[in-house]
Amino acid sequence: MKIWHSTTFRFAALVFLFQIVAAAVLLLGPALLLRSQSHADAVAVAETLRDDLLDAYHEGGRPALSRAIDARVSRRVERASVLLLATPDGTRLTGNLDHLPPDLPPGAPYALEKLPRSGHASPEAMLIQSVRLRDGSILVTGTVVETERQVLALLERTSMIALALSVVFAAFAAYVSTRLILNRLRASVATLRDVREGRLSRRVPADDTGDAFALLGSEVNQALDRMAALNDELKLATDALAHDLKSPLTRMRAALDRAAQHVEDPLAQPFVDQALTESERLMAIVETALSITRAEAGMGRESLADADLSELLETVAEIYAPMVEDQGRAIVVVAPAALHMRVHRQLLDQALGNLVDNTLKYGAGTITLSLVPEADGAAVIVADEGPGIAPERREQALRRFTRLDEARSGWGAGLGLSLVQAVAHLHGGTVELRDAAPGLAVRIRLVEPPPRA
Amino acid sequence: MSQKILLVEDDADTADFIAKGLDEAGFTVDRAANGRDGLFLGTDGGYACIVLDRMLPGLDGMAVLAALRGAGLETPVIILSALGSPEDRIKGLTNGCDDYLVKPFAFAELLARIRLLIRRGAPAAVAETVLRCDDLEMDLLARRVRRGERVIELQPREFRLLEFLLRHADQVVTRTMLLEGVWDYHFDPGTNVVDVHLSRLRKKIDEGEARRLLHTVRGAGYRIGAEP
Repeated sequence: MKIWHSTTFRFAALVFLFQIVAAAVLLLGPALLLRSQSHADAVAVAETLRDDLLDAYHEGGRPALSRAIDARVSRRVERASVLLLATPDGTRLTGNLDHLPPDLPPGAPYALEKLPRSGHASPEAMLIQSVRLRDGSILVTGTVVETERQVLALLERTSMIALALSVVFAAFAAYVSTRLILNRLRASVATLRDVREGRLSRRVPADDTGDAFALLGSEVNQALDRMAALNDELKLATDALAHDLKSPLTRMRAALDRAAQHVEDPLAQPFVDQALTESERLMAIVETALSITRAEAGMGRESLADADLSELLETVAEIYAPMVEDQGRAIVVVAPAALHMRVHRQLLDQALGNLVDNTLKYGAGTITLSLVPEADGAAVIVADEGPGIAPERREQALRRFTRLDEARSGWGAGLGLSLVQAVAHLHGGTVELRDAAPGLAVRIRLVEPPPRA
Repeated sequence: MSQKILLVEDDADTADFIAKGLDEAGFTVDRAANGRDGLFLGTDGGYACIVLDRMLPGLDGMAVLAALRGAGLETPVIILSALGSPEDRIKGLTNGCDDYLVKPFAFAELLARIRLLIRRGAPAAVAETVLRCDDLEMDLLARRVRRGERVIELQPREFRLLEFLLRHADQVVTRTMLLEGVWDYHFDPGTNVVDVHLSRLRKKIDEGEARRLLHTVRGAGYRIGAEP
């Protein structure tokens, strides 16, 4: 996954960027404006001063100018003004600057210099300009901008600090806003994951905000409802079919039974027997399909009763032991001395029987029935050392009427593992097909039901 | 004198099928097509066993059973039901029936169960410690099995299987009856699970003997007894 392509990341980056830009404009804009404004003001003041002095020069020549300068300097009317009159060779004549600044060509635009004025202890920032008069002498005029400079510098410093802080805030805003979106999505994602894992009744919690996320949640719920409805219809159809099959099967069974009792022809005998066996098989399929439907619907929870699971496992092992041994294999039970729990004894017997039967047909090696106590119940694991089931086919294996290998024919019509799953669901648990390396391990989780009211 | 059996079943086909079979097996069968008649005949007594359908017009099977038991009648009752779920079976057994058979069933299964119930109804001998059949002897206390002079070594599961068979000597015992009786296992594994147990047991008991004791009853189950 490339982080640059992640929408979440892009969204976070966008929020971050806009936050930074907004902060920069807000903080730096006024400072820039203020700077240019103060520059323009200082220049205007300096120009007025210069124009006044030039007027004096035009009227009375250098002496008049000299007087005017002296007057302004001594009166200190304009505290911020900078004045200097120098001879063409740069010797100071009068004014409040000690000497002519060296790098100030006449006629150049206003330059910012840091110079000491006479009578002032430290150099100050000032905007100055020089003009060459008609007689060759040089007039320097300008304005001290030290205070403004300092204010502006302070403003800049605080702006930079504020900008640095705003980076932190922008990062926080980006984080919070993506979190907000992810949190709103999480309900839908969690629900879909739960449904995928088999908790089909889970729905996205109701949300009355009416925003896009609420819409998503409600659409997810509606899709899940539709899926559940289709599922129910399918189950209903299976159930109805099984029910409808039962009556004719019962009559067929009875007829075959009588035929078996009365058949005299030894040639017909094996065919009647075969028909009986097949009718039994058919009945078993119908019964199993009905058992699955009932268990999945939660019917039978009322007949959960206390049983010793260790003993239950031992019983199953004992019943199947001769068949297992006939295959040259072994069946072992790994269980605590006793583990009592409320279970549906008959269905659990059937589920374990199915699993052992499956491994007899398709598995190999030692069959291990293990019982593991858990905090809220127990896990029953049936494992063998056979070829197992490929990971990508495990989900399919749990479905009704599916056989992984069409060539396989057996008693259960592919209902064995579905029944195991239905029984697990009845006990509030799940079925997992795992790799026993080598072999298949079917793990049935059983959850201890709450004590009966 | 043949034993009388009351059959309460509303479906004519099924009733014919059962009645005919029981007749051939040597029982006298009285029939009732609804619950009311069934209760009327049943309270009359004199029946060795009552075969009661669960779903009946008028008075339903469970109500008939409750009324019979309420009247203090101890006649063994076997319920026939199309309701095959374990819940129905458990409910039936806790309400006072002696056995519960789910439709469809093999007639041999019904017959074997009826015979078992009638035998059980007979006054039981004092608790036996030694079970015998011909020259086969099982000492329950010493947990030892002998055939004539030969001591037979049995695994615990084989011992319990043989004990069940000997307690029902000369009766047909079906595969499901064995699973229920020996292991309390109420699911028919469908494959020949039980047959394998029995063939092993037979090997230990009958191999090399002149008389065979453990017989396979075709289409029904097994029987242990001196009679071939």
